[in-house]
Amino acid sequence: MFKYDYYRAETPDEVCEVLARYQGKARIVAGGTDIMVQIREKDKRWKELECLLDLSFLEDELRYIREEGDQIHIGALTTHTDLERSEVIKRWIPFLGKAASTVGSPQIRNRGTIGGSICNASPAADPLTPLIALDAWTVIRGRDGERVVTLKDFYTGQGKVGLKEDEFVKEFTVRKLPEGTVTGFAKLGRRKALAISRLNVSAALRLDEEGRIDFARIAPGCIFSTPDRVETAENILIGRKPSEELWREAGKAVSEEMIRRTGIRWSTEYKQPAVEAIVEDALIECCGSQFA
Amino acid sequence: MKKIEVNFIINKKPVTVEAYPNERLLDVLRDTLKLTGTKEGCAVGECGACTVILDGKAVTSCLVPIGSVEGREVITIEGVGADGKLDPIQEAILENHALQCGFCTPGFVMSAKALLDENPDATKEEIRRAISGNLCRCTGYEQLTVAIYEAAQQLKEAHREQI
Repeated sequence: MFKYDYYRAETPDEVCEVLARYQGKARIVAGGTDIMVQIREKDKRWKELECLLDLSFLEDELRYIREEGDQIHIGALTTHTDLERSEVIKRWIPFLGKAASTVGSPQIRNRGTIGGSICNASPAADPLTPLIALDAWTVIRGRDGERVVTLKDFYTGQGKVGLKEDEFVKEFTVRKLPEGTVTGFAKLGRRKALAISRLNVSAALRLDEEGRIDFARIAPGCIFSTPDRVETAENILIGRKPSEELWREAGKAVSEEMIRRTGIRWSTEYKQPAVEAIVEDALIECCGSQFA
Repeated sequence: MKKIEVNFIINKKPVTVEAYPNERLLDVLRDTLKLTGTKEGCAVGECGACTVILDGKAVTSCLVPIGSVEGREVITIEGVGADGKLDPIQEAILENHALQCGFCTPGFVMSAKALLDENPDATKEEIRRAISGNLCRCTGYEQLTVAIYEAAQQLKEAHREQI
């Protein structure tokens, strides 16, 4: 068993102070749904862990979903259950609610937070792809105040996020999708409940008055070393009408981008057709099945 | 590693425990408070055998660091039912033969109770979803779904009679 101390943060400032004092040997716990498993499995990452820094008592400061003008602010301690049930999310960015509803199990969704999900930097985190599709920003709090980076740039490499020793994530901010946009989230896992995504895709589309696509976002998960939208696939959709054929083209563009960025691997033979199908599923979910 | 003091409400009674920071709620329930109705299965949040209700929500107690429970309210299987009587969910599970070895049963009862406390009108689909984080390896899920649905009807009936 690893041995470490426990510290309950009572203010956001205290979080930064304790993080700085332990110089990288304190780790934040919120819902515990990842780190408690990693500690249990004696993950080498936590061999030197000296302090578990509990953020879960900062709910007043960090657990919120706020609508402000054309933006939505999501506090880091917002749970997956909160996201799944939020009327604001349902109204403006429904694929984030859908993605959150597929995380783990009810028990995991009741505890796990969006901040933890993102900061653990697993490329398979379900709420990640909708946030990437939305070009979300990350609001980071440190001893010297707050700074904002795009979520895409927050990921500095596989499994790594750009936080300095005294910093933690306070909030994710997104712009509402344009009125009339429809969204989809599709996921491939090994079983229905509790599956960690093998692949997932978030998509958003809007049709103009003539039924042509004039807004498109496609963000696949698990296939790049750091998360990103696939603009080549989005551009294929713009100006065209939904059709099965068009969804296939978009799926191909995503798999080509995957191969371009990560090369041919042992898993490509499986991943290529699978990712194409998942992209098509997400697009079908956007527009209903009338075209499929 | 210094012990920490944690105060919380367990099955409606306040309790103070001293625990090591690396203990989980599950450890304190079973080893310190001797509430062994809560079972340890996988210890990594996958099986749901250790499910308890924390501030009204079903959670797996193997993933809760004990320090996080300060000031909160925990209900375990020992806190379900009243005056020596089983909870309607437990009665319905017996009635419907919805258990064999019984190891997973407390976890299922807690998931079901968290659902019905919040939504007594739960549909079978909502029941299936609520117990999707609980694994049973001998009886299966159909009898459990039927039992929990029956319990929900009974609870509603009892509620109507009260009014």
